[in-house]
Amino acid sequence: MSAAKPFLLELHCEEIPARFLKPLTADLSTAITAWAAGQSLELTGLEVFYSPRKLAWRAASLPLAQADQTETQVGPPQRMCVDADGQPTIQGLKFAEKWGLPFAAVRFEQPAGKKEPCAVVTVTKVGRPTVDLLQEALPGLIAGLHVPKAMRWGNSEFEFVRPIRSILCLLGNQVVPITVDGVTAANTTWGHRLFHRAQPEPVVVSEPAAYEAALEAAGVVVSVDVRRARIAEQLDTLAAGVGGRVVADAELLDTLAEIVEFPKIVCGEFPAAFLELPKEVLVTSLREHQKSFCIEKLDGTDLLPCFLTAANRTDDPAGFVKAGNEWVLKARLYDARFFFAEDRKLALSVRMEKLQALTFQKDLGSYHDKTGRVVAITKALAKRLSLDEAHIERALEAARMAKCDLRTLMVGEFPELQGIMGGEYLRHEGSHEEVWMAVKEHYRPAGADDALPATALGCLLSLCDKLDTVGGCFAVGIIPSGSKDPLALRRAGQGLVRILWERGWALTPRDLCGVVLGIVGPKATKPAAETTEALLAFFKDRVAYQLELAGYAGSVRRSALAAGWEDLADLKARCEAMSGFADDPRFASLAQSAKRIGNILKDEIPSGNFDGALLVQGEEKELAGQLQRLEATTDQAALLGVLADLAQPLEAFFGAVMVKCEDPALRAARLSLLHRLRQAFLRVADFSLWQ
Amino acid sequence: MHIQELILRLQRFWADRGCLIGQPYDIEKGAGTMNPLTFFGALGAKPWNVAYVEPSRRPADGRYGENPFRVYKHLQFQVILKPSPAKVQDLYIESLEALGIDFSKHDLRFEEDNWESPSLGAWGVGWQVVLDGMEISQFTYFQQVGGQDCRPVSAELTYGIERICMFLGGYDNIFDLIHGEVKTDDGVFPVTYGEMRQREEFELSAYSFEHADLDLHRTLFASFEKEGWRLLTDHGHFLSAYEQALKMSHTFNVLDARGAVSTTERPAVIKRVRDLASGCAKAYLEHQETSAATIAAAGKGGAL
Repeated sequence: MSAAKPFLLELHCEEIPARFLKPLTADLSTAITAWAAGQSLELTGLEVFYSPRKLAWRAASLPLAQADQTETQVGPPQRMCVDADGQPTIQGLKFAEKWGLPFAAVRFEQPAGKKEPCAVVTVTKVGRPTVDLLQEALPGLIAGLHVPKAMRWGNSEFEFVRPIRSILCLLGNQVVPITVDGVTAANTTWGHRLFHRAQPEPVVVSEPAAYEAALEAAGVVVSVDVRRARIAEQLDTLAAGVGGRVVADAELLDTLAEIVEFPKIVCGEFPAAFLELPKEVLVTSLREHQKSFCIEKLDGTDLLPCFLTAANRTDDPAGFVKAGNEWVLKARLYDARFFFAEDRKLALSVRMEKLQALTFQKDLGSYHDKTGRVVAITKALAKRLSLDEAHIERALEAARMAKCDLRTLMVGEFPELQGIMGGEYLRHEGSHEEVWMAVKEHYRPAGADDALPATALGCLLSLCDKLDTVGGCFAVGIIPSGSKDPLALRRAGQGLVRILWERGWALTPRDLCGVVLGIVGPKATKPAAETTEALLAFFKDRVAYQLELAGYAGSVRRSALAAGWEDLADLKARCEAMSGFADDPRFASLAQSAKRIGNILKDEIPSGNFDGALLVQGEEKELAGQLQRLEATTDQAALLGVLADLAQPLEAFFGAVMVKCEDPALRAARLSLLHRLRQAFLRVADFSLWQ
Repeated sequence: MHIQELILRLQRFWADRGCLIGQPYDIEKGAGTMNPLTFFGALGAKPWNVAYVEPSRRPADGRYGENPFRVYKHLQFQVILKPSPAKVQDLYIESLEALGIDFSKHDLRFEEDNWESPSLGAWGVGWQVVLDGMEISQFTYFQQVGGQDCRPVSAELTYGIERICMFLGGYDNIFDLIHGEVKTDDGVFPVTYGEMRQREEFELSAYSFEHADLDLHRTLFASFEKEGWRLLTDHGHFLSAYEQALKMSHTFNVLDARGAVSTTERPAVIKRVRDLASGCAKAYLEHQETSAATIAAAGKGGAL
């Protein structure tokens, strides 16, 4: 084993889009690891670094050369290599020559599988220096990286994410002089752009271990984790300094860590008059336009007129960074206030007609058409949920208004404020609180982590909107498959199921399919029966996933689903009851017995009725008694207890009783007993799927 | 800094670094890229460096001269460097230093912003340049123009002149900017951007949003298109045909500002502009090939 040294590669580029940094470093890590394995080089401790202008990889150790390898080569038989006088024959000499050895190095042995001694040589394959191997391989690995939006620059045909301007590549303290698109590696790199306005010389990195320190001295913190941690710390300190706390946003924190080379957080202010804008508008405007965090009061209610943003330098000596960001933010908020004021000059309902020109989906028509359908669905479901007249009227009003904000200036500027703005504008118009709250929250839940609308009407509107989207799309043949789900129907379907699940409404997916297909019917391009089948399969998958999200054990989910999934309230009650027994060994036994019952009944058509008097053995009489008790129990939790108690009698039954006996009457009675048991099990679950 | 001083400094800077100083092209357009100095200059193999000011019209951005930050017409300073130099970012930073920006005190970032002009069949990748949180320039490596691959690749730098002026001077209202000073025997009179432009903003916004005759514009759009294709196909004239494409583009923008183009018909209308522009680009390259010998004999760079 030869000596090993740390290895470092850095591609110094013009600013790389933040979204590509992580995937690109990960991809080359994979490629380098696979390459090293293929070269029999033991590469350990590979870590990655990135910053806007750098992609870097460092291994804790990489051997300086491949190990030498010896191989035994077998040649012709001894009698053909040596003549009667013991002199080498031509054939013998040629064999030695082939492996570059003198004849003296040839020995004669009988290798396994040969019938006589043969000429044998030991050949040493000298391992190659790693520097040479890297030099040959790295340019190809780098050029082979998949870049989603690759570019060319200057006169070159080379394509990469952004122009590569210098390369640092070291094995120990030795430069690996790879060349990529005319740029040859050295032991130098470049620090922060502004650092080099005063320092025209590049930064020398003498060895891989010196990498981070050398760059930090030149104004670059090359580890994204370190940058993120330092930013988070400054955010908290600065927010506390103005008596508030940061409005958390993990995604924005990641973004800030990726767009600066040195993390400096600046706290600025904006005129308090802008606080009249809805909180969501301020948070969105600051995030989208200025990549800035808002600060809220410690009780989480209102915002403070302050913001936090990242600067790509170590300090703000003249306060220009603060002043500049404040200036820009003011212009942005001025715009937001303009939109907010303009939008309120007209009632939200005025936008209704304009929805005709906004396509929802080619076959399903405009958002105006969609609104009509959502209103109709709301009407049908509100009736089924037995809402009173006043609530039905409010639900319909909310459904009519739900999409109008898509035609407002504010949502045009910030699409993610859809729903929220509609709700805010209705609130300003003096709508009923239930109406504006429902409109405001009807896009929720936006994902598994998001909450449901807080109010019943909000949930109803969200459900009706999603039902129209999913049912409508299925009816015109847009059905998610594999990774293809461009309209995010799975997410909509999941939200819908979650609302049913958490609200406990007595609506089944089959009811919903009936309602939506009746309403979307005129637009449908597929037969209703086909759509219903596809929709039910889709909802069954969503329900299965809902059970997973709810945290039930696999055994509980599988067996409960198989015994019926459409009545969600019932399914939930069964899952809850069974969860208490998830680790109960009696249920494992019950599962075994349930499987046996299934096998025994496979080719039989038992009647459900039998004469208990026919049963002869104690074990089967005991079981028949238990069956009666089981059938008489209606409460889910108690039922589970009775089932658990059945495990032992069932085991005893199968241990002692031969079901398919000679006597046809007894045999029929036993089969019927098992059939009845299975029917009773299925009221709760299919226990044959327990394990 | 006065607007005219900023322009003069940028022109001096880029002229000193080997750029021709071009002039605005006298047809309405949405961006400096549409000037033939860029559109055709970025095509073909010949070296080409040019810088110029371009008034750019965005009818939908009109605010009747009442919004302190947004206007119907603004000034772009446009630089094309072909092929893109290895130190193009450093050159750009030096140009900002020439405007008096001291980077020991300011924050500068290049944030991903890929540029695309569907009506020119052009796209590139690059950044918006952000100074102390404000976007002051667009920086693009052209990959395609008029549907044709750019070989070599040009770097395009676009400075937002009013924005930079406002930022440097800490102005809160674009109309308060000083364009320059008029010096007469009677004294020195500073002239504001508002004096020069506010009434124009008002009238052009009113025109875009209220007074433009939509039927006329629909007819004009179709007529310019017909004229352009006639010039291109019957005569092989890509420069006069390209002017028609520019007129189509502006006519479309006026219709669009009025909401007279529905979202569904939009892509098809834009494609009609792109088809003519792309036809011009292709004809230009063919023309370049046939006259390549002449240009090669001259041994000089030059786009047209």
